[in-house]
Amino acid sequence: MRPQAGAPLSRRRFLALSAGGAAGGAAALSGCAMQVSTGVSGGSGETVTLMVKPEDISPELVKQAKKDTGITIRRVDYDITKLIAMLTSGNPPDLVRAVGATDAAYFAARGVMQNLDPYFAKSSVLRPDDLDPVNDLWRYDGRVQGKGPRYGMAKDFSQDSMYWYNTAAFDKKGLDYPSETEPVTFENWLESAQRLVQRSKGQTTVFGGSYNGQTKITLMAALTASAGGSLFSDDFSRVDFTTPEARKALAWYIGYCRLNVGPTPINPAPQGWDGPSYQAGRMAMSNNGYWMGGMIGADKKLAQVSRLAPAPVFAGGPRISACQGGTGMWMPRKAKNKDAAWRLFEWYFGEAPAKERASSGWGIPTLKSLRPLIPDEEDYQKRTLRTQENELKHFSVVSLSPYITGDGFESLFNQVTPAAMKGEMSVDTLAGRLNSLVNEQLKRGKEQVG
Amino acid sequence: MTVDQVSSVADRPRSTANARPARSDTRTGPSMTTRRHRAFYMFTSPWIIGFALLTIAPMAYALWLSFTTYDGISPNWHYVGLGNYRELLHDAQTWDSLGRAGLFAVISVPLSIIAGLALAVLINRPIKARGLFRTLLYLPAVVPPVGAGIAFKILFDQNTGAANGVLTFFGFDAIGWLADPYARYVLIMTVLWSAGNIMIISLAGLQDVPRELHEAARIDGASAWRTFRSITVPLLSPVLLFQTVTGVIASVQTIMPMLLAANPTTGGLTTIPQSNYTYMIHVFSEYFALGRYGYASALLWVLFVLILVATGLIFKFTSGVVFYNVDPEAKK
Repeated sequence: MRPQAGAPLSRRRFLALSAGGAAGGAAALSGCAMQVSTGVSGGSGETVTLMVKPEDISPELVKQAKKDTGITIRRVDYDITKLIAMLTSGNPPDLVRAVGATDAAYFAARGVMQNLDPYFAKSSVLRPDDLDPVNDLWRYDGRVQGKGPRYGMAKDFSQDSMYWYNTAAFDKKGLDYPSETEPVTFENWLESAQRLVQRSKGQTTVFGGSYNGQTKITLMAALTASAGGSLFSDDFSRVDFTTPEARKALAWYIGYCRLNVGPTPINPAPQGWDGPSYQAGRMAMSNNGYWMGGMIGADKKLAQVSRLAPAPVFAGGPRISACQGGTGMWMPRKAKNKDAAWRLFEWYFGEAPAKERASSGWGIPTLKSLRPLIPDEEDYQKRTLRTQENELKHFSVVSLSPYITGDGFESLFNQVTPAAMKGEMSVDTLAGRLNSLVNEQLKRGKEQVG
Repeated sequence: MTVDQVSSVADRPRSTANARPARSDTRTGPSMTTRRHRAFYMFTSPWIIGFALLTIAPMAYALWLSFTTYDGISPNWHYVGLGNYRELLHDAQTWDSLGRAGLFAVISVPLSIIAGLALAVLINRPIKARGLFRTLLYLPAVVPPVGAGIAFKILFDQNTGAANGVLTFFGFDAIGWLADPYARYVLIMTVLWSAGNIMIISLAGLQDVPRELHEAARIDGASAWRTFRSITVPLLSPVLLFQTVTGVIASVQTIMPMLLAANPTTGGLTTIPQSNYTYMIHVFSEYFALGRYGYASALLWVLFVLILVATGLIFKFTSGVVFYNVDPEAKK
């Protein structure tokens, strides 16, 4: 009905017009949002949307990308909620950062990742035979992480069960240094941490050791693997913390938290991670891999007293040294500009930025051909590299479940573990509670993946 | 003009020759009423459109999500009716976190109102450098919450914080302020630290209290406390009610200080002590750590209803004690 000119605007009519305006506005906004990628194949002259963290690609690298490839990078800050909104609206970024260990199987199982095998097969920059095994974290065959098509690639990596130690802290307590080639047992590591910790009037002036893994899911899976078992069932639809191996892993970690020799979930590191405490000489041992050498190497005095040591083992258990991160990028299946995105992918993972990362010492390159670029001029660099090369022989992919995110596991883990960490709950009771909570979430995840 | 003159003018016969043509009843253009309506809607429409787009639409979307198992990304989500609502009734974490949020509101709202009012009373007195004191006391409220949260985290760190530095200097043992059971007290201190907002509103209320009432009370021999209790507080009661209602709503929705005291990331949720694991943290965890958009939306809708009920109850139970300085009947 056409309104008469001059007729009073009734509330009903006004609200109807407002609703129409709102719907129109929403459609207009949606339309605007759709116009991100052109969808035209090719590389030079195109714009590729990258959802990354600021530290992944500096403004200088954005300029260099334009110069090297002719591609303009439109950077969107990484935010999981924004990513989900973009994926849902059919307007995903062209490349997205993620952590291979915890994210790859999760996203791949949900069908939102592009299978990159055809691209790798044609690439002269990223040849499959040149890829380090750590990139297998980005493979998923529909059931198991580590096998099947490649969905992404790590930019660099570390073996995150290793640890750094400060020789000055050991000297002060008159303790022998841990071997740089042979692993100590987890029990010995904890014993050393107890002897190294320094306390005064309820304050910890020097942490004996920090051992928290990259995330709790990778930590528990890696510890259980080191005890000779598997945290997950064969189909990854369940966890079992009551198996002897998983219980051993859980008991060790809870014991570490109870002893209060380092940061824990109930007494976290002041700055959120070990780096500042270690740098200040306030941490004798820090569970971080090769990558922390980038920070250590920037401080010559610290580098002289720092040593990288192999991942500990459980007495009688296998020697396993997994990568718990493997941060890199993946391409959404509905990316609009795949060819240009792949060109940028090649550049980022195999050309100038990859070479720059390899020579910085902030991680091991993920292409075997870039290994010679790892810094080894200084004595401490040579020593660290020797330890690292020896450790690579023990690398393995510890597969995680595609039915739960790292954050999801961590959230559930920390709902119930504080009581055990404070000695108010036994490890056996905790194991049962964890099974119940985590398996419920895994069941939901499995139903949704189908 | 006299009454007679007026009546003679009224009785005068109208000259048809000089009379202006009568105004037509079929004039074009909107009437004054229509124009006023139109103007009203034109001026309010930006807000109404914004409200519809940014409040009603997301709320309706969240309501729809609350009936599903949607997680934002998985292909097989489905409609579960009231399943999520039934589940939250049996979720111990939901009730525990709601209880913590309620306790936080019960403690923090009265404390912050009392602190804000006390500060307002202090700086309402004729003291030297009153403007400076007002500025200084209000300053914390201007500090961005993120900065304040991080500052408190540094101050109360167990091993390097200034709070424990003072304690150990005087021979006491350090306290794990950011861990259970002390984390709750630090959170309350964070809220009290920004009592300047309440102070400013209370100060405005205080300055609105007629001075002659205080003078009359003084002449009658009333003590300062009696004057405050019997004159100032009743006249301030609408302001106090406003602060109570908005304070309760804000406190049960508080999330930022808890996140900042831990580690403001999704993973950082895990380091939030149990005593600070309030309802909104639970919602945040369900949304962003576990990806349960449907369930978390149900949690939010329940909170929305609970806040409505709590607000209604506050109005009901305070209707007899809140004094409005305007006679509502006089306006009719």
